[in-house]
Amino acid sequence: MRNWRYLVYALAVIVFMTLPFYTGVYLLNVAGYILIFMTLTLTWDMLLRSGQISFGIYGFFGVGAYTAVITFLDAGVYPLFSIFLGGISAGLIALVIGLVVLQLRQLYFAIVTLALGGIFMVVARNIPELTGGPEGRVLPSTIFDGDPTKTYWLILAVAFLTVIISNLFQKSRVHFAVTSIRDDEIVARSSGINVFKYLVFLFSVTSAIQGLAGGVYGHIYGFASPEGSFDLNFVLLPMAMALLGGIYTTLGPVIGAMLLGSISEFLKLLMPYGHLLVYGIIIIVVILFFPRGIVGTLAKRFQKKR
Amino acid sequence: MAILKTEDVTRYFGGLIALKNVNIEIMENEIVGIIGPNGAGKTTLTNVIAGVYLPTNGRIIFSGQDITELPAHRRCRLGIGRTFQLARPLGDMNLLENVMVGALFGQGLGQRKARERAREICEFLGIEEVERDVTRLTALEIKKMEISHALATQPTMLFLDEVMAGLNADETMEMIELVRKINARGITVVVIEHVMRVIRELTHRVVVLDWGEVIAEGPYEEVSTNSQVISAYLGEEE
Repeated sequence: MRNWRYLVYALAVIVFMTLPFYTGVYLLNVAGYILIFMTLTLTWDMLLRSGQISFGIYGFFGVGAYTAVITFLDAGVYPLFSIFLGGISAGLIALVIGLVVLQLRQLYFAIVTLALGGIFMVVARNIPELTGGPEGRVLPSTIFDGDPTKTYWLILAVAFLTVIISNLFQKSRVHFAVTSIRDDEIVARSSGINVFKYLVFLFSVTSAIQGLAGGVYGHIYGFASPEGSFDLNFVLLPMAMALLGGIYTTLGPVIGAMLLGSISEFLKLLMPYGHLLVYGIIIIVVILFFPRGIVGTLAKRFQKKR
Repeated sequence: MAILKTEDVTRYFGGLIALKNVNIEIMENEIVGIIGPNGAGKTTLTNVIAGVYLPTNGRIIFSGQDITELPAHRRCRLGIGRTFQLARPLGDMNLLENVMVGALFGQGLGQRKARERAREICEFLGIEEVERDVTRLTALEIKKMEISHALATQPTMLFLDEVMAGLNADETMEMIELVRKINARGITVVVIEHVMRVIRELTHRVVVLDWGEVIAEGPYEEVSTNSQVISAYLGEEE
C-alpha cells in the first residue's frame, strides 16, 4: 500500500516535469498559472492548520512581486535572485507584523490580514519614485526572454518546494503543535507548546513563499502594479481551491487547485467572468455538504470501509 | 520543603474578586486537596498557578523560582502539569497522539521517544487500545487520557481538576489507586474535588476556599469539623 503510494507520487512528479515535451504553449501557460495558485493554496492551508485564517496572501504576494521587479530594475539584481529577495522581504515583513498581529486570533486576525494587503497597496501606490505609483513598474522583458518551458519549470520548482515544506510540517513535530493549537490553544500551552512562536514561524514561512510566488509572477508577466499585484483573487481563489480539495492536508490543496484551476480556465473561454459565479457556487456546495473537501471526504469513506 | 508557594495571590475579573490574598504552601510529595463550594476560586487558582491567567497581585514561587510572570508553556516545562475540569481532548488526533503532545513539547522529546513514552504512560494508567478516536471514549477513559497527557509532560507537581467527577464507585476507587501510584512516583499531587470521600481517603492535607479566600487549612478530619467550613458549604445557621 505504502509503496504503491510512492509510485503514484513519483509518476506525478515525472508527468509534471515532462509536461513541456508533449503540450503546447497555451496549456503550459495554463499549467503554470494553476501551479502558482497551487502554491498559494498550500500556504493558506499551512497556516489554517493552526486555526488561523489569513486573508493576507494578496498582500505578501504583491510585496514579493514589487520587491523582485524593483530590485531587478533599480539594483540590477539577477532575476532569479530578485525573486528570492521577494520571498525574503515578504517573510521578514510578516515576521515583524506577526509579532504584533498574532496577539489576535481567528476573526480578528483574519480582518487585520485583509487590511494589511490594502495597506501595502496604498503604500505601493504612493511612493512613485520607487514603485511607479498607480501605473506600477514594467520590465523590459520577461524572465528567460519568455521561454515557456523554462518559465514553467521555474514555477514548478516553487510549487515542489512548497509541497515539500508542507509535507515536512505534516510529518514533524510542527504538525502536533499546530493541530493542538487549532483544537485547543489553552491545552496546547499547558502541554508546553510555545503557541506564539509557532504562529509567528508559520506566518513568516507561508508569507515568504507567497512573496516568492509573487516574485515569480512579476517576472513572468513582466510587471508589478497596485491592482495587478495586490489582487484579492490571490486570496479568494486559493481559499476556494483549498476548501474544494480538502483542508489540513497537502494533497487536498494540490487537487483542489488543479481541479478548480482547470475548470475556471475552461469557463473563462465560455463566458468571461462567469467563472467567478461558479467559484461561489462551488464554495457554498462544498461547505454545506463536504466540509472536509474532496480529500477529507474520501479519506473518511476509506477509513470506514476498513 | 515547599515545592509551591503563593504569596498574596489575588486575581480580579473586571470587578469580580476571584482570588483574594491566597497564601498556600504545598510540600514536596504531598497530596493536597483543594475544596470549596462552586465558584470559590478553585479552578481559577489552578489557572493562575498553571499560567492560564496572570495574577493581578502577588507572587508564585515554584521549586524556588519566581514564576509569577512566566507564560504557561514555560511553567509546564518547569514541571507543573494539570488536567482540565471539563476534559479537553484534542479531537483531530487519536488518544496516543494526544498523550504524545505532552511528551513532545513538555519534555522536548523527539517523535519516536515521545511515542514510546506515551505508550508507557498509557500502560501505567491501564489504557488499552491507544490508537483510538478520542471522541468516543468513556468518562473514565477521558479522565485517564487527561492524566496521561499531563503526566507525559513529566511534571513534578500535578493538578487534578475534578478527575473523579462523573465516575461510578468502582471507577472512583480505581482512580484513587492511580493517584496514589502517581504520588508514589515522587509527584506532588493537588486534587480539586467535590467528592468528600475522595478527599478523605486520598489527601494528606486540605485547603478550603470560599469566595476566593482560604478559610481553613489542615488534615481533612480537622477541617471537616471547622464551623466556618460547614457554614460555607451549608450556609449560616439562623
